[in-house]
Amino acid sequence: MTATVTTPAVTTPVTRRGRGLTKKSVVPWLFLAPGLLLALVFKFWPMAKGVWLSFFDVRPFLGDKWTGLDNYTRVLTDHRFQDAIGHTLLLGIGQSLGAIVLGFVLALLLEGQARSLKIVRTAVFLPAVTATAVVGELWRLMYYPTSDGLINSGLDFFGLGPVQFLDNPDLALWSTMAMGIWIWAPYNMVIIMAGLAGVDRSLYEAAAMDGVSLRQRLRYVTLPAIRPALGIVLTLAAIRGLRVFTEVYVLTGGGPAGSTEVWMTRAYTLGFTRNDIGGASAASVVLLCVTLLLTVTVNHFRKRGDVR
Amino acid sequence: MGDRRRSRRLAAVLVATGLASATAACGAGSDSAGRDPNTLEVWTRSNPDAAATYERVFAAFTKKTGIRIDYQPVVNFDQQLQSRASTKDLPDVMINDTALMGSYQSQGLLKVIDPGSVAGHDQITAKSWSSTVGIDGRHYGIPYSRQAQTLMIRKDWLRKLGLKAPTTWQEMLGVAKAFATRDPDGDGRADTYGMVVPGSAQNGYAAWWGASFLWQGGARIVEPDGKGTYKPAMDSAAAVNTVTWMKDNLFCGDNAVIQPGALTAVTSTATNFQDGNAGMYMTGPYNITTFDQTLGKDRYEVVPAPAGPAGGDVLADGENVYFGAKTGKTKQEQALAAFLVSPEGQRLAMTGDNQPVVRIPVNSTLDAATVRGDARWSVVQKAYEDASQQFPNAPDFAPIKQDTADSLNAIFTYCGGDVRSQLKELNETLAGDLKDQDLLK
Repeated sequence: MTATVTTPAVTTPVTRRGRGLTKKSVVPWLFLAPGLLLALVFKFWPMAKGVWLSFFDVRPFLGDKWTGLDNYTRVLTDHRFQDAIGHTLLLGIGQSLGAIVLGFVLALLLEGQARSLKIVRTAVFLPAVTATAVVGELWRLMYYPTSDGLINSGLDFFGLGPVQFLDNPDLALWSTMAMGIWIWAPYNMVIIMAGLAGVDRSLYEAAAMDGVSLRQRLRYVTLPAIRPALGIVLTLAAIRGLRVFTEVYVLTGGGPAGSTEVWMTRAYTLGFTRNDIGGASAASVVLLCVTLLLTVTVNHFRKRGDVR
Repeated sequence: MGDRRRSRRLAAVLVATGLASATAACGAGSDSAGRDPNTLEVWTRSNPDAAATYERVFAAFTKKTGIRIDYQPVVNFDQQLQSRASTKDLPDVMINDTALMGSYQSQGLLKVIDPGSVAGHDQITAKSWSSTVGIDGRHYGIPYSRQAQTLMIRKDWLRKLGLKAPTTWQEMLGVAKAFATRDPDGDGRADTYGMVVPGSAQNGYAAWWGASFLWQGGARIVEPDGKGTYKPAMDSAAAVNTVTWMKDNLFCGDNAVIQPGALTAVTSTATNFQDGNAGMYMTGPYNITTFDQTLGKDRYEVVPAPAGPAGGDVLADGENVYFGAKTGKTKQEQALAAFLVSPEGQRLAMTGDNQPVVRIPVNSTLDAATVRGDARWSVVQKAYEDASQQFPNAPDFAPIKQDTADSLNAIFTYCGGDVRSQLKELNETLAGDLKDQDLLK
């Protein structure tokens, strides 16, 4: 008796669900297919091929020669790469933090529903949707190292400069960083704004009634409330910071004297100027590993923070 | 639950099959030019202006022979070529720099060429043919165009300041300082510069631009020993003296002599001469068309490069026609090469409204100035024939050029450095590059 009651109760829904699932599960996969195809052909296959090539002296028409970890040893012991790691970290960290802080400030300033704010927000967001190469060319003009350059003409007005923003090896990396902050701050602003929209307004009212200062309100109400948004921004910034290429390539080409050379520009030079595809692949694989490690670390701390 | 997994697996298999079919379809479609025996895929490293000239040349070839050309002008040529090489599917014919031949040959990208198989080969001089000999003594390219650097100089500025075109380094320095300080454009502002320098290390530019100075100072980057091996030569006294002179007088002395931003400038961003605020530019003749259009033909002249202590040699360069390895269209490729080096093909590529893609003809029956009706080209032709040197074409010169550019750019950036020890370090790096190629003496 028990069995006769139980059997339809268990089997019928499964069968119904199974039939429905077959249909239902194919449709999303079909919708995903174009994206998957593109990812497979242009992302995952080249990535796998890159990992494979990193163990070879690549000579497509003469036959690739297996070299084991030689490419990795060469890349990691090359002082130019070591310098590039330092520049990449400095640029990545500075650019990420700068863009987050500026994005946060912009989000606080431009939060609201007024029409004028919408226009300003659109204007402020423009750098994030402009091609990085175009931004680079514009900043080259802005940094022009005479009083004809936009920034130097401003400094000239105050009796300062002209400053060699890009040709001074002590300044070039910082100048590149400033451009990176300018590009990415609006992008962060949008994500942080989304986080701010979810903050419970009653907390602000309660804080106001308790007479807390603006700084305390930011510290104890706003920042904890937008922690998830900051986590996303930080993860994206970390990945972006490590694979920085276009900004540097357009603005300085890694110069002067390699003072702005970053991991990707060095890998590019190795691969496409020196035709050392194996070495360039090894450099890219190391970058991939470091990026993965950093992303996992950032996520780990983010989750730990969320649990608290 | 198991049914659910199975159905998802089924869905995934369906999608994967679809993806595989689509990928196969993509692969088949992209190879149509490769399969047609009467169509050659041709690549050149060209911007749109130069590509327009090539298109005219190829159209004439197709009209004459019936062989179609699938033409691809590629700006980032090296990157794209490496990408195609990785799939073992090279273009049938490539036209690119002579100095890259060693690099291509070392990677096995090129077919061996028998000069006798190219109709009209005897109209190409022995000097030009010698530049296509690889490290193993065989030819890997067919000469197509040659050029040498000359000095482009503002003649209206010279006239205004009562100066003459310089013939020595010291005179050049004097003219450069006058251009930078004596307001040659007469606008009352200190906004002019002596000379243009694409001095970035990016893509080896500092070595490309600086090579003429090195030759004129008696320096060499690497020297062949005549037995197929080379030795680095950037620690010589001549190299130290030349680089020191360049550093002290052009980069670290009066900075107004060269344009602002020279240390990070490549040719596409070093536009001060055509913009009208720099007075001299030592560069290749491919720029003449651009300068005629932007600056005006009547405002500048083309003169031989000023001589240094060891003479007036300048960097010669050029393009060769290469046949991609492992394609089965040798006869069609030879027909195209024969047309490209013929008087008709060369003349077409030297004339027209767009940038000429043959600068100095390799066909000895032609004269550059006569074909173009422009005497300035005789200055370039004379410089190429009488006073030029080129980067060695046999070894893989790409890493050697890049290392030299990195070092020169660093020397010119840090003015307090010791040139002798910096060049000694460069020499050791170059020795490493040659050793990697088993070419170190």
